[in-house]
Amino acid sequence: MADPTRPPDTQPHTTPRWVKVFAIIAAVVIVLVIIMLVTGGPGRHGPSRHTGGLGGPTLPASVTDDGV
Amino acid sequence: MPPRLRRLVLTAHITASVGWLGAVACFLALAVVGLTSQDPQTVRGAYLVMEPAAWYLLVPLALTSLLTGILQSLGTTWGLFWHYWVLFKLLINLVATIVLLTYMETFALMAAVAADPSADLGEVRNPSPALHAALALLLLVVATVLAVYKPRGMTSYGQRKQHQRRAGLPRHRQDAPPTVSRP
Repeated sequence: MADPTRPPDTQPHTTPRWVKVFAIIAAVVIVLVIIMLVTGGPGRHGPSRHTGGLGGPTLPASVTDDGV
Repeated sequence: MPPRLRRLVLTAHITASVGWLGAVACFLALAVVGLTSQDPQTVRGAYLVMEPAAWYLLVPLALTSLLTGILQSLGTTWGLFWHYWVLFKLLINLVATIVLLTYMETFALMAAVAADPSADLGEVRNPSPALHAALALLLLVVATVLAVYKPRGMTSYGQRKQHQRRAGLPRHRQDAPPTVSRP
């Protein structure tokens, strides 16, 4: 993660523009994920499939009938 | 961290991280095959192989990348929370690993459906792995770009720590640039 091929920064503290852009993108993604978690997401592949609730993953009847 | 150990950890980190990226690219190819192939056995095989491949490849690579990244950061003057690019890489790695671990249940479910001969091919096909692999690939490429370019920017925590470190140095050393862990 931290390859010291150049010295760390020594400039006075200001939040760089790229950090602001990244933060905005991350915030938008988090809001979208929360919306998809609440609504169940489009089709069969919303994040709620991983949570076990809110319309989580289900097996077809043919699989559950066999006790899998 | 001693220079030899640092190089060993760095090598392990690069290998695991780039290997993880390559493995995710293979999963994306596998997911596309599962969605588009006309051969039922190929479609079922694609979803069947995803779960063991994820356990034996994706999970170890993700955890190794995360662990070696943290060690590498803490063992050098870059620190873990000092620089924005290191912090973003850590967050990307953490989020991708957590999503992967929670997605293992979905891999198992898809494999169970694919193993059931009475399940229709339409039930076996699932766009979810392609979507997740594409997003993971995007995240890991961003992490790689951050690691290579190391864009400037220090967190307020890093700034404070740097001032404290400088204040603790003798007067004739205060203007010296920060040193890195070199042999």
